Amino acid sequence: MQKTKALYLSAVMALGVLATAAFAQEKPVAGEVKEGSLKGKTLTFVSYGGIYQDGQAAALKEFVDKSGVKLLNDGPTEIAKLQAQVESGNVTWDVVDTDDLPPYVYCGKLFQKLDLTKLDVSKIPEGQVGECSVPAMNYGVVLMYNKEKYKDNPPKSWADFFDTAKFPGVRGIDGSGSPTGGLLEQAFKVAGGDPKAMTVADIDKAIDVVRKLGPDTIFWKTGAESQQLAESGEADMLMMWTGRAMTAVKNGAKYAPAWQDWLVVMDQMTIPVGVKDTDASYALLNAYLGKHAQEVLAEQTSYTPINSDAQPKVDASVSAFLTNTPERQKQGYKQNFKFWVPNFAVAQEKWSALMAGN
Amino acid sequence: MSALEPTTPSVAKRGWVSRPFALTLPALILLAAVIGYPLLTIMVRSLSEPQWGVQNYLWFFGAPVNLTVLQRTFVISAWVTVVCVVCAYPYAYLMTAVGPRVRLVLVLCVLIPFWVSGVVRTLSWVILLQDSGVINSLLRAAGFDGIRLIRTQTGVVIGMAQVLLPFMILPLYSVMKGIDLRLMRAAQSLGARPSRAFFTVYLPLSLPGVYAGAIIVFILALGFYITPALLGGPRSTMLSTLVQTQVLSLLQWGRGGAMGVVLLVTTFVLLALAAPVMRSRYREAGRR
Repeated sequence: MQKTKALYLSAVMALGVLATAAFAQEKPVAGEVKEGSLKGKTLTFVSYGGIYQDGQAAALKEFVDKSGVKLLNDGPTEIAKLQAQVESGNVTWDVVDTDDLPPYVYCGKLFQKLDLTKLDVSKIPEGQVGECSVPAMNYGVVLMYNKEKYKDNPPKSWADFFDTAKFPGVRGIDGSGSPTGGLLEQAFKVAGGDPKAMTVADIDKAIDVVRKLGPDTIFWKTGAESQQLAESGEADMLMMWTGRAMTAVKNGAKYAPAWQDWLVVMDQMTIPVGVKDTDASYALLNAYLGKHAQEVLAEQTSYTPINSDAQPKVDASVSAFLTNTPERQKQGYKQNFKFWVPNFAVAQEKWSALMAGN
Repeated sequence: MSALEPTTPSVAKRGWVSRPFALTLPALILLAAVIGYPLLTIMVRSLSEPQWGVQNYLWFFGAPVNLTVLQRTFVISAWVTVVCVVCAYPYAYLMTAVGPRVRLVLVLCVLIPFWVSGVVRTLSWVILLQDSGVINSLLRAAGFDGIRLIRTQTGVVIGMAQVLLPFMILPLYSVMKGIDLRLMRAAQSLGARPSRAFFTVYLPLSLPGVYAGAIIVFILALGFYITPALLGGPRSTMLSTLVQTQVLSLLQWGRGGAMGVVLLVTTFVLLALAAPVMRSRYREAGRR
């Protein structure tokens, strides 16, 4: 008798626990972490290092403290390394921060299709949730110019950037590896084309516009180098990441941004195919998307948060380069994703040839 | 009985042949594991991805940019080797000519930069070479026009030569310190002018060091990545950068592998062509 009662009781209790778990799974809230839910587990988060990954680690501190997970940081993100892990069936990267395009190019192959019932994506800016990714942060590629060189007649757009007759001077372009779709679209516009109707053959036309900038053009290899080019005044017009532009100006570079058609870019958060504990990876992502986590991230890195409720406390020099104000959102230029994803390899090939001096 | 046991008579008989071999086993195993196996993998992948065949090699030789960059890689490496020989030869000679205390200072001057990370040294060169950098500021202060050094092949050669200089100085020094300087005096006492004594006696005896250093520097230079990336522009891109693009951003391991194999084979061919010249020089040096 006693026994059946005890059994009955424990069954009810078990049901109750299951129900709560089911309920919790049904409606995740960004930033919410269940106390002690990942105790004894280890997650490896991979990103690009530097102050960016430090900021991400700070943003995830609350998640670590609450869930009891042990968080390891690794990096930098290299898709080739991830591919080797996926192919060998030994995936040690649980959540990976990547560039714009890879989650679209390798969706389902290297990156899991995301189950949006396990994430709260309601606060993410429109159009940024991919099939295999949520944004990690927003930033921009912005045209920075030397104020002392151009004085009263500053460049105002990418068209001016590509016009060496009207605006003589040395240009600096992102040569860190992959082509920036948005920049090629702007170049194609200069060549008289319509970026919305771009074809593969047009990539050559766009690259020719870049090539015509001449042999003095600097292709910077790292963000740090672009910042150094501004601070030392080596280049007169620079294509720069907003975070680096901000730091350069803070450090005294006499440069100003031309915001018209700044290129909207973002990092992506992904879960690789074959991770050992998918739900733990989802828990990390969901915590990362939270308001508080995004505020911490923005305060530490000056990148734009991707939770629309986030109100980071930043000083004026930082907020001048945040890209989520209504004005900036209006000026921003979004690349033609549909075109670049299938043509990524072709574009990379042609861009590499330019980078190699051909 | 194992060959490792030094007391066995069989070992005593073949002693000096087999024992060194046994002693090099750990190194051989290590080489097989960290160089042999990956190299083999690269070769196989260059022929098997995306499907079996020579498509990756056809692609390599079909794209003009690859051939330009391959040629450029060898030209830059050759220049680096020349600069290293010219700078290292007198330096190594000086090391043999001075007293032990000064020699220690000279050795440290070679080794200390060697212990500093290549990236740090390369970034220091950026500061020195850039248009608003130390060298150009000094030139301008002295009333000259500035010169373009950074993002040129000259800049890349300067930076790479500095990084590789120890690999030239050390083999040169080890050969030079074995040369009996009395031979020079003997030559002079027989009526040779100092320059003649140098060219007919000292230089041939030191050539083995030059060859050893040159080969090391040349081969290391072929695979350089960071320095040309940071000090160079598009016109000084070397093959390693293209390999990196293929593998890391396009995930074309087959193409990247093919590029590596082409570089390796071309290097072997060049060395095989150079070998007879060096060997005859060795013999000559030995005879004298």
